[in-house]
This record gives sequence, structure tokens and C-alpha cells, in this order.
Amino acid sequence: MTTPTGATTDGDTPGSTSDLPDNASADAPADPGFRGLSPGKLMWRRFLRDRTGVVSACVVLFFVLVAVLAPVISMLYGNDAETHYGQNDPTLLTDSGLPVAPNGGMSGDFWFGLEPGLGRDVMMQLVYGIRTSLIIAFATSLLTTVIGVALGIAAGYLGGKADFFIGRVIDVLMSFPSQIFLIATMPVVTSLLVPSGQKVPTWLPFVAVTIVLSLLGWMGLARILRGTALALREREFIEAAKVTGASPMRIIFKEILPNLWTPILVQATLALPAFVTAEAGLSYLGVGVSEPVPDWGRMIAGAADYLRTDVTYLLFPGIAMVIFVLAFNLLGDSVRDAFDPKANR
Amino acid sequence: MSSRKSRLAAAIMVAGALTVTTACSSGHSNDSAKSGASKAPIATTSISVGTADDSKGPAAPEPGAKKGGTVNMIDRDDFSHLDPAMVYMNYNAEASLLFTRQLTGYKTAADGSQKLVGDLATDTGTTTDGGKTWKFTLKDGVKWQDGAAITSADVKYSIERTYASFIKGGPTYIQQWISGDDYRGAYAGPYDGKGLDAITTPDEKTVVIQFKDVHTDANFTLAMTGYGIVPKAHDTKEEYDKKPFSSGPYQITEHVNDRSLDLERNPNWDPATDPIRNAYPDKWHMTFGVQAQQSTERFIADNGDDKTAFSFHNQVHPTYIDKVKADEKLKPRTLEGLTPYVDYYYINNTRIKDQKIREALVKAFPHQQTRQLQGGTSYGDYATSYMSPTVLGYESYDPFDVLKKPQGDTEAAKKLLTEANAVGQPIVYAFNNTPLQQKVTEAIRTNLEAAGFKFVPKPLDSKTYYDAIQLVNNEFDLYWGGWGADWPTGYTSLQPVWDGRVIQDGGQNYAHVNDPEINAAMDAAVKIADPAAQGKAWAAIDKKLQDKAYSIPDVYQRSLSLYGSGLGGVKFDTLAGLQSPLNIYVK
Repeated sequence: MTTPTGATTDGDTPGSTSDLPDNASADAPADPGFRGLSPGKLMWRRFLRDRTGVVSACVVLFFVLVAVLAPVISMLYGNDAETHYGQNDPTLLTDSGLPVAPNGGMSGDFWFGLEPGLGRDVMMQLVYGIRTSLIIAFATSLLTTVIGVALGIAAGYLGGKADFFIGRVIDVLMSFPSQIFLIATMPVVTSLLVPSGQKVPTWLPFVAVTIVLSLLGWMGLARILRGTALALREREFIEAAKVTGASPMRIIFKEILPNLWTPILVQATLALPAFVTAEAGLSYLGVGVSEPVPDWGRMIAGAADYLRTDVTYLLFPGIAMVIFVLAFNLLGDSVRDAFDPKANR
Repeated sequence: MSSRKSRLAAAIMVAGALTVTTACSSGHSNDSAKSGASKAPIATTSISVGTADDSKGPAAPEPGAKKGGTVNMIDRDDFSHLDPAMVYMNYNAEASLLFTRQLTGYKTAADGSQKLVGDLATDTGTTTDGGKTWKFTLKDGVKWQDGAAITSADVKYSIERTYASFIKGGPTYIQQWISGDDYRGAYAGPYDGKGLDAITTPDEKTVVIQFKDVHTDANFTLAMTGYGIVPKAHDTKEEYDKKPFSSGPYQITEHVNDRSLDLERNPNWDPATDPIRNAYPDKWHMTFGVQAQQSTERFIADNGDDKTAFSFHNQVHPTYIDKVKADEKLKPRTLEGLTPYVDYYYINNTRIKDQKIREALVKAFPHQQTRQLQGGTSYGDYATSYMSPTVLGYESYDPFDVLKKPQGDTEAAKKLLTEANAVGQPIVYAFNNTPLQQKVTEAIRTNLEAAGFKFVPKPLDSKTYYDAIQLVNNEFDLYWGGWGADWPTGYTSLQPVWDGRVIQDGGQNYAHVNDPEINAAMDAAVKIADPAAQGKAWAAIDKKLQDKAYSIPDVYQRSLSLYGSGLGGVKFDTLAGLQSPLNIYVK
């Protein structure tokens, strides 16, 4: 679960089909009528031809829908994520808290079985767990992108002392062992945000995890953008803008930024799954989102204890996590290929 | 303790407090797990005081036992102390049985009942003035590992050195009974050449100990490892904690911190002088750092050296309880029993003064749910009293019908709360922040919120959990804690935890109960000479504590543990709640 770094250094992605010849054929038939396809449309076309990308996009969409519709699912399915079914009904769990029914207590009432101990519904825990993962991952991606863009472009365009200063900050932060740093800072951040003697509000762990992950997650993007901005700065159109007296603000936002959308989007899509795993990792290690908010990492950590006695409980969060992260990663790769077919070829 | 899994476990003994330190803060996180059949609490008559005849060696032989071989021991933690004067934790004390002797000790009969007998002494001591002066006579033929005779001067010296400033963490009963609460101010230890006048040695074999007050169960106190003997000639002060000089059947050959401890026979130990110890194996090899989950798997697999292995403290990991109980093949090598520990959820009486609110807490508490999370019946039997059933005088009493509704009666609690005009009363619940305890907190939250409390969970770091709840002005209303009697009488079971005069930072009166009536009753109970009558007096105090709902007794902890198939004579020591090494032999 490292925080995302330069994804453009990734190798080829198996399954991505776009290639130079493809591009040629994509443009050729369009010749007669639609001569001037916009870059966006071109990208969309390339993306649709990438079967892996489309499939993973569907999977991602499915997960997002499940997260958004969690209360609806709960209503239709009849169980919620909070009730301790197994503890309220003594026939569901054994005396020591294991599900009585085989396969982790899977039944018509509890499709994915019951959580050992408290006896909550595993399916609803997973469904609400997606919310936790997605909210944190989206928020973190957004935050890191904003920080990365601002500091990266500033460093690249301004150069000199600003570049030196931001560059060193990036170097320092990148030299931190991120996992250890995250574990160490989480309790500190939490205690800074809550006065002692008061209840920890539900939103707090979300904010704390987001802050901590963002703190160490923006450097990769910032470095890439700094490099690109550095190159753009010397280009004629920037010089032209300077000569006409445009302010640095205008140059950064109107001249440089539009040229950087591709790396920014690609980076953000690839960062998202990395943050999902990072968040789950924090929870797995016991410093992430705590009870009663459902969380995949914590589920997997808890389920590891039942490896020998109730493997079903590990199976569902495990498989869900693999599919979720895999789909996001493949989608990220496809987006990159579609945006920037020449990268790394 | 878990804690646990974390557990914390019995390892967290907070030492140092003035009066009584923690004999036994046991672990939560861990592995407390036990008997499927949830037997009725054992009868209180299982402890008795033996005669001089009972105190004669050798120990009753174990049927089918033979001498020789090496026994392995696997456990999570290394022994934190080997110097007898610093040993307080049950785990350390159990191992010390192999190389440290006291004036008295406990002999276990084949039926599991235990008897206090003379260990170094010829009997359990005599007193002529109701318990103020105690006289012990040493047996003939008791020797140190170098062959020198153990004399009354050694006994005197051993108690004197418990006053020394470097002795931290051991029991302090005897010192306080001799010299008062500020015993270190009264006497600084034997190292500047001064002796303690209260202990006299009329001859080589006789020790007389003079207390300020009457202490009728002092012979039980002297059975603690903390009053084990240390030779003046080989006392290395602080260094003694690393390598004690043996008076028991084995001596230490090698100790690698946190890795291993090896013992071999002490040739100068004479079985004829020892009514307690059957020393069958030639060697003991103890290894540390094995978590409960690992040890459970290793005992189930039963391979190689693990065949001849046992574990003092590691129990069956809670997630394996059903599997172990269901396995007929494991049955012959499964040990279960009631430990001396009682788990409480302490109510902070400084903050919750209204008895109605406390009663509502007691009524609403989800015993069944929290127990199920921690191992079910194997974790313990539902408790209603503050004294454990292992304590002399225990009487069952259930004023709040907890046994009828162990899942908590939130309706009744809500009614009480309404009567007290305290619906919405905030309850700050402090807990050890482990995955298991987070879930336990969820179960408690569900019930207390249903009863009309405002529940405020406060996660605390495992390492500082006890430090935080031991502050008198802590900001919590409810917190878990365990207590086990140092010896099986009401005094050590109740006084350290419920005597209002011992409330202090770092002390054991976690609930801050200061009830003059109870304080006075305790003072009176100590002075009753007849053990049975004294037991009754303590039971009456226990009932008073329950009636006022000062805290929530949760369970009497049980233990479920395994050992290797190649061992015989592995027994459960109910006084310590651990596997006993005394009768173990290699098949």
C-alpha cells in the first residue's frame, strides 16, 4: 500500500489494446465527414475499444452505485449494517460467537453470512464498507490532486527559490517511510481534532485518515507536473504570453494548466485504488476508521483470526477488495492509454 | 488484558502502589477461555489448612509417573521477575515454584482440593495471641543449591530485604503489617547492617514474626512467592533478579531474555523435605514469544518437541474454542478450570454518585453479549459477587437478577433511570483500543443506549490503559478491570479493591468506593480468628457492595488450555489460574 507515485513509469498493461496502428485506423475512417474530432472524442473512442477498460469501468460503476444506494439496498434486503443479529438471536451464533450454520452462517436471511462475535450482517457490512472506502479515497484523491497541482506547477513555473524549496519539501516527504509515518501520525491527528472527554464524532476518523493520507500522497503528482511545467515554461506560447504582459496567475491557470489535464487525470485515477488499499491497510493495522463504522480493512484484519475456524468470513471482504482494487487499477491504466497512447511506447 | 489480544493480559501488573499492588490484574484481550460445560462454581471448601503431618515430604506421587526427560514450556512472555521479592504476577510465581521455596505453600490433592501446608516450615505456623505473633519452625535437611543448610537467619534476611528500595513490584502485606503503611520509612533494609527487630530467631530453626495488629491469615500470605527465601551469602541485590539462587528442586542454567529459560536438577534438594513438589523431569526448557494463536495450533498439531510441551499461561485462542471442544482427540489433554480472577466493569463512584443510576448500569449491562465476544462459557461464569467462588466464604447472591437476564434488562434500567430523572446521563466508557475491545464496546453501547444513557466511548492505548484508569480524577465513568485474590481469603479478595482508605493514584480501588460502613466491616472481619466465620463476614461485606451497586461484576474467569500428548500429570492450579508444573512427567 504505498502511496501513489509516478504512474507514467509503469510498464505496459496487458489488455490495453490501443496502439499506434489502432490510432491510425481510428482516424482514417473518420476522414470524409468528421475530419476534426476533438481530443476528448478521440480519447473516448480509444477508451471504448479497450475491452478491459470498459469492463472495469462497469465494475467500478457498480461499486459506486452500491455505495450510493446502500440505504436502498438495506431496505430491500431487510437487514442493516449495525444490528447485532447474532447476539439478539441465540440460535445464530455458538456460545463462543461462531456462526452456527455452515459457510459462515450463509442463509436466505444473511446472504454472505454473519460476522463472528457481534453477529452483524456481512453483506451489509461490505456494502457500507464501500462507502467508507470510496469517501476516503475520493476525498484524498481530490485533496492530493489540488495540492499536487498547485505546488507542482508553482515549482515548475516559478523556478528559483520556490522550486528549490518545494523540491526539498517533496524530497523530505518522499524519504519518509510512509506506512510507519501513517501509523505514527494517526493517533496524533485524532487527538488534535477531539478535545478530551468528548465523544469522537463519526466524521472524525474519515477526516483524520484523509488528512494523513493526503499529507504523504501528493508528491508524485507534484513532481510530474513540476517537470512538465518546467518544459512548458520555455515554450514559445508562454513567452508570447509573458511578452504581452500576462500575470503569472493567468499564465499558470490559462496557459499551462490546460496542457496538464492528461497527466492530472491519469494520476488521479491511478491514485484512487492506491488510496483504497492504503486506507484498508491503516484500518487493518488498527489505526484507521474504528467501530461502529463498517470498514473493509478492519473486517479483513478481524477475519484473519478466523482463518481456521470460519474462512467464509475472510472470503467475502477479501474477494470484494481484490475485485474493487483490480477494477480501479485497470480502469486507471485504460484511462491513461486512452488519453495518452504514446506514453511509454 | 488482550486485550487483547492484545492483551495486556496478566502481564500488565501495575506495580508500586503503596498498599496492595496488583496481585492479579489479569488480561482482557487475551485468551481467557474455558470449559464448555460451564460447571457450577466450585465449592468454597476446597481450601483448607493442613497439619504438621500434611507438611511432611515427599509429595504424593502422581500415578504412572516416571522420572527423567525434558519438559518444554511455550508461552507468550518471559518472566518479568525472578527475584522472589519482586514476584507478584501469577505467571512468575508459578515458575518460581520450581526453584524458590517459602515458609508455607499449597499442596494439591488428587481431587483438586488444595491445602495450605508447611513448605520450609514443619507446619503452617503457630500463633498464641490470635494472629499477632507467628512462630515457624524449619524442617531438618532443607538446603540451598550449594548444599548449605537453610536457617532461620535466611528467612529473617529474606523478609528484611523486601524493604530495600530496589525491590519494586512485590507484595507488601507483611512489610506493612510489621512496620505500618510507610514501612520503607521505618526500616531501610538489611544492607546497612541493621536488622528488623520484629523478626526474631531464637535458634537456627525457629523464626518468630511480630505484627502490629492481628492477622489471622498471615500463614497464607507467607505462601506467596514474594516471601520466598533469598540467601544472604548469594544476594546480589538488583542482579539477583537475573539469576536467583535455588532452594527448590531445580536451578537455572541459562536465561536468555525474552527467548528462553533452562532449568536442571538441584542435587541438594531433598524430596523428603518437600510435601508440594514432585520433580519428575530432569530438565525444563522454556521458550517465550509464542502467541496464543500459535501455541493453540502447535498443541493441536502435536509435533516433535511440542509433544512434551505445556504452557503456564497461554490458553486456547478464543477463535479455536469450538474447534478444540469438538475434537475428541484433544479431550485427554485439555485443561479447564476456574481462575481466581473476577472481571469487573468498575463504575467511577466519584462521578456517578446516584445509586439509582448505578443500579440502572448494572441492570442494563450486556453480560451475555460481551462474554460471547470473548469466548462464551469458556471465558467465564457470569458473576454477581465481588468475591470469586474460589475464595473461602463465597456465597452466591444476585440482588439484580443478573443471572436471570444476562443479556441485560434495558427496560428495567430505563425505568430506574427515569426515576432518577437522569435519562440521557452521559457514560464515558474507557476501553483498551484493540479490535476485540472495540466490538465489546459496541455491545455495551447498544444496551446502554437502549436503556437511555448517552454513551461516550473513549479508546485508550493498551500500554497506558491502567495508568489512565488508575488516576483518581480520571474523566471516565465506566472501565473494565480484573482482580484476583493473592491468597484465597476474603481479605485479599476485597480489601485492596474496595477499602475506601486506599484510594490513590495508581491504587487498586478503581471504583473509588469509600463507604465508612464497609471500611469498618473490613476492619472487623480481619480480626475474626475462625477462618469459616471470617469467610462469612467477608461474604456479608460482598453482599453490601452488591446491594449498593458500586460496580458491575462481570464474570468469574475460566481457563481452557492444551498441552502436548507426551506429558502426564499436567494439572490446573486454581489458585493461580495456570497450568501447574509440579506433577508433570514425560510419558
